[in-house]
Formats: sequence, structure tokens, C-alpha cells
Amino acid sequence: MKLSDSTERPRMQPGVETMHIAYYPGCSLHASSELYDRQCKMVLKHLGIELKEIEDWNCCGATSASKTDDFLAVALPARNLGIADASGLSEMLIPCSSCYNRMMESQKILSEDSGLKEKINAELFKKVEGKIRIVSILDVLVSKAHSGEIAEKSVKRLEGLKPACYYGCLLTRFSCDIHISDDIENPQGMETVCRALEAAPIDWSYKTDCCGASAAINDTDTSLFLMSKIINDAFARGADCFVTTCPMCQMNMDMYQNQVSERYGIRGRLPVFFITELLGIAMGMSPRQLQINRHFVDAIEILKG
Amino acid sequence: MSYPVLQFRPEQSLSLIKEVMDRSGQNLLACYQCRRCAAGCPVGEETGVTPDRLIRMIMFGEREGALNNLLVWKCVACYTCGTRCPNNIQTAKITETLKQMAKRDHVEPLLPKVAAFHDAFLRSTSHFGRVNELEFMGLYAISNAKSELKHGGGWKALADEMKNKAKLGISMIKKKRMHLRLEKTKKLYEIKRLYRKAKDAAGS
Repeated sequence: MKLSDSTERPRMQPGVETMHIAYYPGCSLHASSELYDRQCKMVLKHLGIELKEIEDWNCCGATSASKTDDFLAVALPARNLGIADASGLSEMLIPCSSCYNRMMESQKILSEDSGLKEKINAELFKKVEGKIRIVSILDVLVSKAHSGEIAEKSVKRLEGLKPACYYGCLLTRFSCDIHISDDIENPQGMETVCRALEAAPIDWSYKTDCCGASAAINDTDTSLFLMSKIINDAFARGADCFVTTCPMCQMNMDMYQNQVSERYGIRGRLPVFFITELLGIAMGMSPRQLQINRHFVDAIEILKG
Repeated sequence: MSYPVLQFRPEQSLSLIKEVMDRSGQNLLACYQCRRCAAGCPVGEETGVTPDRLIRMIMFGEREGALNNLLVWKCVACYTCGTRCPNNIQTAKITETLKQMAKRDHVEPLLPKVAAFHDAFLRSTSHFGRVNELEFMGLYAISNAKSELKHGGGWKALADEMKNKAKLGISMIKKKRMHLRLEKTKKLYEIKRLYRKAKDAAGS
């Protein structure tokens, strides 16, 4: 891949107001995917968005709550929704797909079940009102791609990079009726962002297939099998890396890639980027600043022209 | 893959259908067996039982089979089946419901590790309000070891499992992906109150 310096330097825009939005990092972004938390803040700041982490948040319960306890599956996210409603901000960014999915569902369920809402609110200091608008990282980035701000802030073009945009399950699919702006099985948001960086995302079939998520730990064979299909298709379509927005997808596809490839006879390896890493590089940040050295499959070599 | 012939058990099916429908919020009666869910299920090849078969089992009153089959435990909750269902039945909600019913009825899970994982996750959340990966993996390893020794592959399987997890742990430390600082919600008693209410709700 070539990283060519753009002829036009980014224009500084003094006087452009910084936009504040609420931010829910979730447990992953405060632990194994800490780098993603850091990158989100850095990259969005560059795009004029300041993230205000909501105070004293708790775990959303992830898939484990829905698989074991119907009440906690709604109540754990609800506490965060109450805190966000009280923050005075109108939007909340949730970069992790699992947290995003759980909070969206909880908000939807509570908007339709006033009895349950009352029951949960009775235990909360900050009551759920239901007014905060939850946004995914792609919701934020796609609008910045359309407005031209991403291209404008880019000092390097990711020409020649052929990412397979990998969405996974929980960014577009929900277990109840929730409308999202992108296509459910063939979303285009990540491709839109990649094109704004002048990369050439490939067209492929496994972009919303499941990597197994927690099955990588508790049912490893199943998860390795699912990942092998995803990796094989990406290679078959000529991708040279993955790009994702989900910390579970990133962790699984990155950490287990050697194991999958050895078992299924896949020779090459594909770096697994967070979308924020490609943005950061394009904006002139260094791999070290972005902590891309914390990947399992080497992801730095491909960034050197 | 061949399936056992299902027997219609009207006396058992009514109560089973009603319970699963009430708890999962899914209208099983709308299923007309088009099998779009089966075509999209990523674990269907391995489980044999696909979402349509699971719904059929419930309709026929096959309580035991419905509560304990590979789909219930291997379902990765990817929501593909429900997204593609022309009648808007979300089978992932049904597998969630069946897991909970199996636990309540003390049915031994077919994949004890899956059950142990989710229990450990929620326990970890109850301790600090946030999941601390090290603590969580510790809880998971302990309950896993217990069940492995009780009815699993014994010491050998346990040692293999520990070796695998240790390998992962070491590679995470090398890549500085292991996090050691304790993450905690300050108003932990609020979380505890939600857990108590969940217990009451499950009991009632």
C-alpha cells in the first residue's frame, strides 16, 4: 500500500465549535481493547467531537445477561441510559457493538413496557427517560464522510489498501424491531468511510457473519470454524486486511487468527484494523500513537508504503 | 443428518408452547417451516437441530429435547434467523428462554462450559459493576474445573483447558492487552439492588 502525502494540507478551521457527545466505553474498551478507547477519543477530537464519558457507568450485561436473566438484560443497560439521560447531552456514542446492541434494545423495550420501566426506575437514582439518542461509531463517521470533513482532515491517502469491511452481528441485527439507517445484511457505512480515505474496500459475502464472539472461549471449535469461513472469503476476494468497529470481532479475528489458519490450512495472515486506526493513520497520527503495535497479527508493515 | 421422528404430545405441547411464547415474546404459531432460518444459521451444520426444528419440537411438546439440544447451547446469538424470518420470529430469543428454563428445571447443560461462561460473566458484573477480564476468567476457570471433574473428561481435559487459556493469557500479556487495574462502579449498591430484583422476578 502507498501512503502518499496529500498535496493539499488540511485547512485549519478556527472558530469551528467543538461538539460534545456523551460516551459509553463499556468494559472491553477499559480493558483488552483500551487502544480502541484511546483511538476513538483521538480521532473524533480531530473531527471536532469531544467525548464526555458518562459518570459511573456499569457493564451492559452483554450477551450473557440475555442468555441468563431477562430482567438484568434490560435493567443493567437501563442504569446507564438513566445516567446518559441526565447528562444533558442529546447523543451518546457507543463504539462496542455488543454494548450498542444491548443499550438500543433496552431503550426500545422500556419505551414499550411502562410497567417494567417503572419497576427498574424504582431502583435507580437517575431514572430512564428514554431521550438520549444512541449512536454507533459508524453513525458518527459516515456523516463526517458525507460532509467531506474526513477527506479534509486527511493528510495521507490510503491508496491501494483493500480492506474487507467486517461488521459482525450486533451492529445491524437486533432481537427486537429496531430500525437502523444502513442495510442489515449488506451495510455500506464502513465502505463509505474507507472510500473517504481513498482506500478500495472489497465486495465480499461474509461482512455480517458471526465470528463466534464469546464462543471463542467457551466453544472454541465452533468459533474457529466460523472464523475460517470469514478469513477464507476475505482472501478469495483479494482483501489485504480486515477493518472492523467491534472490539470482540477485532479480538477474535486478531488473537485467534494463527490458530484458525493453522487448523484450516490458510497460509497468509490479514491484519485486523479498528476503523479508527485507518482514520488515525490517514490523519497523520503514527502507529505508535494509535498503539497499533498491540495487535497480534502484525498490522504495521502494511502501513509502511 | 437424520432426525428422530417427532411424536405429537398434545397434553404436553400446550403448556410448553405457552410458556416459551410468554417468556420469549415470540409467536411460534406463525412458523410455517419455510426454513430460511435454517439456511442462515451459522451453527446449523454442527447442531443438526436448526431453528425451524427447534420450533417444531416445542409445538410437538418434546420438552426434554427442546430444553437440551445442541442448538440451545451452540446458538451464538447472531440474530440471523430472526432477521430473515418472514414472520418475525426471533429464534435466538427462544434459545435464550430455553437456556433459562433448563437452568430452572436443573437440566444438566449439554455444553457446561457455555453455561459456566455466562454465569461467571454475570457474577463478575455483580461484584464490581463492571467486568474485569482477569477476575471473570478466574471465575470461569473455577466453575469450569468443577464441572469438568464432576462429569467431564477429568484431569486430562482440565489440564488441556488450563494450558490453552494460559497460552492465550501469555500472548495477551505480551501484546499488552491484559488489563490489571480494577474497574469498578462506585454506586455498586444500585447494581446489587437490580440483582436482588432480578432474583425476585425469577422466583415469582
